[in-house]
Amino acid sequence: MRKQLFRRGITAAAIIAGLAGFSAAQAQETYKIGYITDLSGPLAGSYTPTWEGFELYIKALNDRGGINGKKVDVILDDDGLKADRAVAAAKKQTERDQVVGIFGLSLSSTQGPVYAEMRKAGVPVVSTFSGIGDALPPAQPFSYSTGIVFEIAGDAIGELGQAIKKGGKVVGMTIDSVGGRAALAHNKKAVEAAGGTWDEVIFPVATTDFTPFAQAAAEKKPDVIVGHYGSGQNLGVIPALRRSGYNGPYVVASYGVTEDTIRQAAQRAGSGENIYYVTRYSSSFDKNPSVGEVAAAQKKYGTSKPFSSMHVTGWALGKFTEAALKGCGWPCTREKLDQTIQTLKVDMGGLTGGPIEMSATDHYGPTYWRLYIWDAKDNVMEPKGNWIKKGSQGFK
Amino acid sequence: MEFIATVVILTCTYALLAAGIVILYKAGRVVNFAHGEIAIVGGYVFYSSGLMVGDSLWFAILGAVAFSVVMGAFIYAAMMRRVVGEPFYVAILITVGIAIVLKSAIIVVWRAEQVTIDVGVAPAVRLAGGATLSYMDLASIVLTVVFFLALYLFFTFTRSGVQFRGTAENPLLASQRGVNVNFVLSRAWIIAVSAATLSGVLYGGRAFLGTASVTIGLAGLTAALVGGLDSLRGAVVGAFIVALAQYLTVRLIDSVLSEALPFLILLVVMSIRPWGLFGTVEELDRV
Repeated sequence: MRKQLFRRGITAAAIIAGLAGFSAAQAQETYKIGYITDLSGPLAGSYTPTWEGFELYIKALNDRGGINGKKVDVILDDDGLKADRAVAAAKKQTERDQVVGIFGLSLSSTQGPVYAEMRKAGVPVVSTFSGIGDALPPAQPFSYSTGIVFEIAGDAIGELGQAIKKGGKVVGMTIDSVGGRAALAHNKKAVEAAGGTWDEVIFPVATTDFTPFAQAAAEKKPDVIVGHYGSGQNLGVIPALRRSGYNGPYVVASYGVTEDTIRQAAQRAGSGENIYYVTRYSSSFDKNPSVGEVAAAQKKYGTSKPFSSMHVTGWALGKFTEAALKGCGWPCTREKLDQTIQTLKVDMGGLTGGPIEMSATDHYGPTYWRLYIWDAKDNVMEPKGNWIKKGSQGFK
Repeated sequence: MEFIATVVILTCTYALLAAGIVILYKAGRVVNFAHGEIAIVGGYVFYSSGLMVGDSLWFAILGAVAFSVVMGAFIYAAMMRRVVGEPFYVAILITVGIAIVLKSAIIVVWRAEQVTIDVGVAPAVRLAGGATLSYMDLASIVLTVVFFLALYLFFTFTRSGVQFRGTAENPLLASQRGVNVNFVLSRAWIIAVSAATLSGVLYGGRAFLGTASVTIGLAGLTAALVGGLDSLRGAVVGAFIVALAQYLTVRLIDSVLSEALPFLILLVVMSIRPWGLFGTVEELDRV
């Protein structure tokens, strides 16, 4: 009886050891990275397409054989737009899943705690969708962004908005978040520097009926209104503004706002006239080979959301990630990945106006921005002018 | 004019929600914390039912009605019926559980997609200053009036309404007099879910449906508490107070405070008149 028990014990131990060895071997065979974003919270509509664009890139990359013959394994976690959940997910990914870096992230209010926690753990974090100032020079260690840092977005929109109406009164609208307020502050600075006047309307993050806020904005008699928020808010604000009698120019800042959202909002508003769009990455309507590549991948692998510039944004992060992991070599460690990203320059091939370029002190680099106008007749986005370049210095 | 229209439309949304909460409290002493979730899921069901048959409005209505009946009857039969006679907080905890499950359903079934109900969104009336009201806005007002009128007629002139009032007054006595209390209470849930669904549909036509939209339930609950948990008249007045205060906060004070304001009103009213503006003192003492 004892012998039998002993034998069984040995067998069980062997199986467990085998499994552990197998899973360790498996783990070593892939580049393991984490991705955290809001897939179920109030801004899921904005963040999901960006994740899908990233996922498309990784799928295509793995189908090509991966990097250095190793596949890329992405651990995805949903933060529901909550900072505590985002931090818990980041800890889980670093401690249990042993990822070498974390990508994505959601709203500015969830990014700060994740950046801070991962700095302690020595894990590089690259935010893609929107970003707080941690990545701007002088950058915080391990904190990077290939997305939209609100300070710079606000500045770029202020400059590009001059093509719509030189000088004049601009009303900025945003949700009550760190990033939203930062965007407004820099948008205001740029507008005033160009000789215009500024006013603003800020509403709570969880707002879903925008009518009183739209009326407050319309009552300020603006020449241009700029909306610094995501898809859902635009879906509500644009019709509410038109219902309030404001039919002037409205600029959509591309914080996760898809072209389909603009189409829907225009439809609800009864007109798509006078809607503009400012974006860091190309519109999905752009006719260039890189955007065509994303469209082809979307057709091949499929996405839950209609093809949009947010997929392009996620794809651009994928391209950046591939370059980072390639530079990191094999085996890739967190330290090596961090060192690699610090000197990374990635050609975006038309996905934006120029390359993404990092340095030891600047974890964001120069960015490129473009103004588009919505063609209400054909439901397409047309560029209005060329890309403008924005440096990352002087925003902190 | 634009100001009045906005406040009236907002009042309608909150009043429908508050009415459902009041009906449930009157009938079974249940404070429903899942009302916002029920409203938004009802709105989603309306949206999806319509889409299933090529954007058919009739199928959307049919889907919403079916949801109201099934959900109302199910909540009572499967959950609330079993806790009759238990301490009041048991039922409250169940509604909190229902809220969590329904919010998860939005994520699982509709992938947290923010959707709008684009029925009657075209401008119907142009107001002074260029603002417009859509057919949906007008429908909000008309349907809310019809709903409250129907409730009044039901409670005043029908046998079922009298049974309902009797059950609300004294369930034991009503039961001894041959009233089927379970039937009455399940009907109360169906009416309450119907009111919530209607408000969810109207809300989806004006704003959008999403996981964040469930917070309208808090505005409805505040309206019910301010007006008095056992008063339908109070529900309307409470809804008006919350809507007006929210609007004035945005326009005159600070738009960021509009989210916290319903709770501030609630604190003020509860500290002065804990039973609400039109509530019954004895009723609230039991809670």
